[in-house]
Amino acid sequence: MDPLFLILAVTAGGIAIGGGVHFIPVGGAPAAIATATGVGTGTAMLAAGGGMTGLITAAAATSSPNLLLIMLAGAAGSALMLGITMLVGNWVYVWGVACVPSSAKVDVDPITKYEQSKYVTPGTEGHGIPTVCFVSGIIGGLLGGAGGGLIYYALYNSLATLPVYAALPGASISIFAATVAGIFALGVFFVNAVIASYNIGGTIEGFHDPKFKRLPRGILACLIASLVTGIVGYLLVLGGAF
Amino acid sequence: MADPIIAGLGVVALMGAAATIAGAAEDLESDVGSMSNPNSQVQLAPQMGNLHRIFNKAVSGEPVQMGAWAGIAGSVAFVLINALQLPVIMSIAGGAAIAALVHVAFATTSHMGRIVSQSQFNQPLFMDVVTQHLGPIAGHGFIVTFSIVGLSYLMTLPLQGFAHPFPLPFLAVLWGITIGAIGSSTGDIHYGGEREYQQYPFGGGIPVAIHGDITRKAELGARNSMDVVYFCAKYGGPVTGFAFGAIVFFSFWSTVVGALAGSSGDTPLIWGTGILFVIIILLIIINNRIEVFAREKYGPYKE
Repeated sequence: MDPLFLILAVTAGGIAIGGGVHFIPVGGAPAAIATATGVGTGTAMLAAGGGMTGLITAAAATSSPNLLLIMLAGAAGSALMLGITMLVGNWVYVWGVACVPSSAKVDVDPITKYEQSKYVTPGTEGHGIPTVCFVSGIIGGLLGGAGGGLIYYALYNSLATLPVYAALPGASISIFAATVAGIFALGVFFVNAVIASYNIGGTIEGFHDPKFKRLPRGILACLIASLVTGIVGYLLVLGGAF
Repeated sequence: MADPIIAGLGVVALMGAAATIAGAAEDLESDVGSMSNPNSQVQLAPQMGNLHRIFNKAVSGEPVQMGAWAGIAGSVAFVLINALQLPVIMSIAGGAAIAALVHVAFATTSHMGRIVSQSQFNQPLFMDVVTQHLGPIAGHGFIVTFSIVGLSYLMTLPLQGFAHPFPLPFLAVLWGITIGAIGSSTGDIHYGGEREYQQYPFGGGIPVAIHGDITRKAELGARNSMDVVYFCAKYGGPVTGFAFGAIVFFSFWSTVVGALAGSSGDTPLIWGTGILFVIIILLIIINNRIEVFAREKYGPYKE
């Protein structure tokens, strides 16, 4: 496979992951005690968790030569994980803590037009995952999963053509290439999730949050880091990393 | 010979069941070890003058921790299955047992490190807290790693819709990271948002002004992390199990249920991925209904 395609695929995938993380509503430790809106865990951790499910579903589609299908499978897996996690998280907010999902960053939910401020517990910055945050999280999951799928596809197909990574007799898929491509995609996921996490600086509610305006800076940082990572990925193909 | 799709659905259901048990145990492990984000309040409490007997081992993110334990268990099981040719169940149990030993060493050192760092606020290190909590921490961790390696092994079976290209240890790491992210995002809110602040009225978020004033009294004597687990096992743990079980169950619909539409070329994947997108849209609608329910049932806060 063309080395330029591999490097560009890793770069584009990294940008999709880094950009997608900005969409995911994470409230960190404050959200875990119902003091801030969003999912009650760290940015990088939730994005990585979603990305891993996307990677598993993308890799399950390895037998397909269709890049778009692998990206869609990754996107669906990642968004599914984030969707179920946010939904069950809301169950705990609504029935375990007994608070109304609401945001203190906007007066009105941009999607449902529901009023927010009256439902925020005094002294907090909101709690739970209102519809706008949920939809934003799904978009983030789709972007991250598609990016992970793209990286996996590019590296798998680059490695699988090499004799040392050839599929075992009787097998159509090279498990060696799939494993290395999977580990590499996992690494790229963490790199870009952490960079985006630094750019966000703790908590973000989604695309309606004022912090979302920092997205271009985060994309630029992810572009640079992913470009370097893509070059390292090409070293893997050359055998320089072993 | 059973229909391969029916057999595949059976395996997916078994994986979902293992995942449900793993998810519930994972959340309870993070409650008894105070592993996740609510631990910020346990860490803050001595600085606010609130000395406590809560276990405290949050020196890493919960996903990374569970990824490490599942990876250790998966690697050891992989070696036992392939190199020593031991039975699969015995190998997975062996791997989970080794991971539990590492888990105990981690829990001991991280708790002592965390508590000793707070000695400047006069927080004592209770040795009985260390010894009493290690068993439940290792036990819950064992259930998690055993279930995760078990379901990862099922994924690698040469069945239609399975035969995942990733090897057992890597799958275990990936699911370990995922289950940590889910446990940290769902069940732990029950610990942080409710159990940690039980002396305050039920029915609202935790205002910043009371941060660090965690509940330190139990039904009898001083509260420890075992009391936290008794409470969270009633709601936070089971819903976490449901979340992880549903994710594992549905994520395999893309390859197993999609095969109902045909087995030629990309047809199963196209249909399976389409089904996942429909489920995602349904999740958005269900979440909105829950939000509306809460708004109508609880109403706005009084000024």
